[in-house]
Amino acid sequence: MAKNTNNPKQSKILRQNLANRFVHWTTALSVFLLIITGLGQLPLYTRYNVTKLPGAEWLGDYFITINLHYMGALGLLFAASFHSVYALARREFDIFPRKGDMKESYQIIKAMFTKGKEPASDKYLAEQRVAYLFIGLSLLLLIVTGLIKTLKNVPGVELSHSLLYWNTALHNIGTGLIIFGVVGHLAAFLLKENRPLLPGMFTGSINREYVKHRHSLWYAKLLRNGEINEVNLDVSQTKSSEVDFIREKEKQSDIGNSSSV
Amino acid sequence: MKMSEDISRRTFFKRTTAAGLLGALAATGLNKPVQAAGLSNGKLGTLIDLTKCDGCKNYKTPLCVEACGKHNQERFPEPQKPLKKYWPQDKVEDWSNKRDLKTRLTPYNWTFVDHVKVKHNGAEQDVYVPRRCMHCDNPTCAKLCPFSAITKDPSGAVSIDDGVCFGGAKCRDVCPWGIPQRQAGVGIYLDIAPDLAGGGVMYKCDMCVDLLAEGKKPACVSTCPKGAISIGPREDVRTLAYKKAEEIKGYVYGDKENGGTSTFYISAVPFEAIDAAIKADKASKKDTAPGRPGMPINVENYLSTGKGMLLSAVMAPFAGAAVAGITAYRTIKGDKAKRIQNNPNDQGGESNDGKEHE
Repeated sequence: MAKNTNNPKQSKILRQNLANRFVHWTTALSVFLLIITGLGQLPLYTRYNVTKLPGAEWLGDYFITINLHYMGALGLLFAASFHSVYALARREFDIFPRKGDMKESYQIIKAMFTKGKEPASDKYLAEQRVAYLFIGLSLLLLIVTGLIKTLKNVPGVELSHSLLYWNTALHNIGTGLIIFGVVGHLAAFLLKENRPLLPGMFTGSINREYVKHRHSLWYAKLLRNGEINEVNLDVSQTKSSEVDFIREKEKQSDIGNSSSV
Repeated sequence: MKMSEDISRRTFFKRTTAAGLLGALAATGLNKPVQAAGLSNGKLGTLIDLTKCDGCKNYKTPLCVEACGKHNQERFPEPQKPLKKYWPQDKVEDWSNKRDLKTRLTPYNWTFVDHVKVKHNGAEQDVYVPRRCMHCDNPTCAKLCPFSAITKDPSGAVSIDDGVCFGGAKCRDVCPWGIPQRQAGVGIYLDIAPDLAGGGVMYKCDMCVDLLAEGKKPACVSTCPKGAISIGPREDVRTLAYKKAEEIKGYVYGDKENGGTSTFYISAVPFEAIDAAIKADKASKKDTAPGRPGMPINVENYLSTGKGMLLSAVMAPFAGAAVAGITAYRTIKGDKAKRIQNNPNDQGGESNDGKEHE
C-alpha cells in the first residue's frame, strides 16, 4: 500500500502530510532560534548572568547571535512562503479562520471545563484557526519589520529615523506577541482532550475514533470524498479480527499439537 | 509623558529632521544649515592633526575638552539617588561623583586628550591624541541599538536620544572603540522597571549637531589654539588628510576603520605604535574600565556581511515558493493517482464534493 494513504482497515487517519509537517517543524525550529537569538540582541544574557552558564558564553556575543538570527530568518521565510504557495496551489484552507470562530472557541473551551457537549468540528477546532491567525499575523509583522531591519544593516543604507524607530518598536512588540503565541500553543497540550492531536505533527496520523468524535465534520467530509470508508472502522473490531487471524495461523502451523490454544 | 514635555531644542531638531526624511531611503542634502558657515550641506568630516596637537600642555585642561564640557553641561545626567544596582549583578555605573575627571571618556566628559610616549625612528616622542566618537559611516551602535535610540544626521553626526535610551550599553559593546559611556539613575528605564531592567543612559559626542544646524563649527574645533582640529566637506577633508600625510610621510587613521568614519587622524608615527603604547600604558595602570579607547588598525565593521544577508533574505521566499509549487503539483498529481487506485471509476477530476464516489 502506498504511503500517506488512509487505509480504511487501519485505525489511524492521516492528518498532517509531509509538507505540512515540514512547514510546521521548520517554522518551529526557526522561531525558536529567532526568539533565543533575538532576545540576545537586547543586552539580556550578560546582564542576567545567563552567559555564565556552561556553554552559554556565545549568547553574549551580539555578532554570533545576529548571524544566527539571520539564519533563523531564512528558515522562517522559506517555510512561510512554502506554506502560502502550497496552501494556495492545493486550495487547502482548513486552518484559515472563519466567521464565528471566536464564539465557537469559547464554546469548545467551556465544554472542556464543564464536561459539556462541544460543537462539531471540522479538520481544525475553531480555537486552532484563531491561534493560526494570531501566530500568522505576528509572524507576518515580524517578517516585514525584520526585513526592514535587515535592509537597514546593509552598509551604506540610511533609512529615515522615524521609520526605523517605529519599525524597531513594532518588531519588539511582535517578539512579545510571538512568545505569547508559542506559549499558548504549547499550553493547549496541558489539556488532556487535545493530546491525541500530538502524533499528527510527528507521524502524521491520529486516532480514527478521535477524529470521528471530535472532528466529526472533517470525518464526514473524508467519508464523502472517499478518502476513507466505513469498512472495519471500529478499532476494537480491527484489533480482534487481527487476533483471530493470528490464532488461525497458529492453529495451522501447530496441527497435531493438542496443547496449543 | 514627562519625556515629551521637556523635549529639548536638540531633540526637536533631530526629530523634525527625521520626520522630514520619510520614505525608504533618506535623501541627503535636504537641510542646508551648515552652508552659512561655508561648509557644504552634505557629509562633513573632521581632521585631527596629531603633529599639531600638544595636549594644551600649558593649560590645566585641554581647551577642546573644556569647551566640550561647557557646551554640553546642560545635557549632563543628574541621576536620581540612591542608585540601584543592576540586578542580579552587584554593580552600577556611576560617574556622577567624578565629573571633573577629564582624562578619559565618561558621561560627563565626551572628549579627552590621550597622552602616550611612542618610540619611532629611534627617538621617543610625546603623542597627544584627542579622542571622541568617530562618527562612523555605518555606525554599528546606531544600527544595532535595540530601541533605535541612535540617529545619524545627514552631516554624518551620530547622536544618542537620551529620552529613548534604556542604558543597556550594547552600543558600547559593538563600538570598536567602546565610545559611549553609561550613567545610571537617569532615563526612561526609571519609569518602567528600574529594579529589574535597564541601566541608565549612554552619552557621547554628537559632533555638536546643534551648532552645525546653526551653521557653526563644533566647540572643540573652534577652540583649539593650535588649529589641530578642523571641519569641512567630507571629501575635501579626506583629500587633505592624505595630502598632508604624504607631505610628512605619515599615516591616516579613520578612513578605513569600521568601514569608514568621518574623523581623519594624521600622524607622523604609525598608529600601530600609538595603539600599542595605549595598550601598554593601560596594562601598566591595570586600567580595564571603558573610556580609554585604543586605535586598532583597519578594524572591521561587523555589519559588512549585511548585504549578503539581505540578498539571502530576499531569495529565501522565492526558494520556498518554488519548492512549494513543485511539491504541490506533485502531490496533486499523486492524489489523483491515489483516487484512481482506490476507485477505478474516478477519472481523476478535481471534484472535491465526492459525489462521483457515491
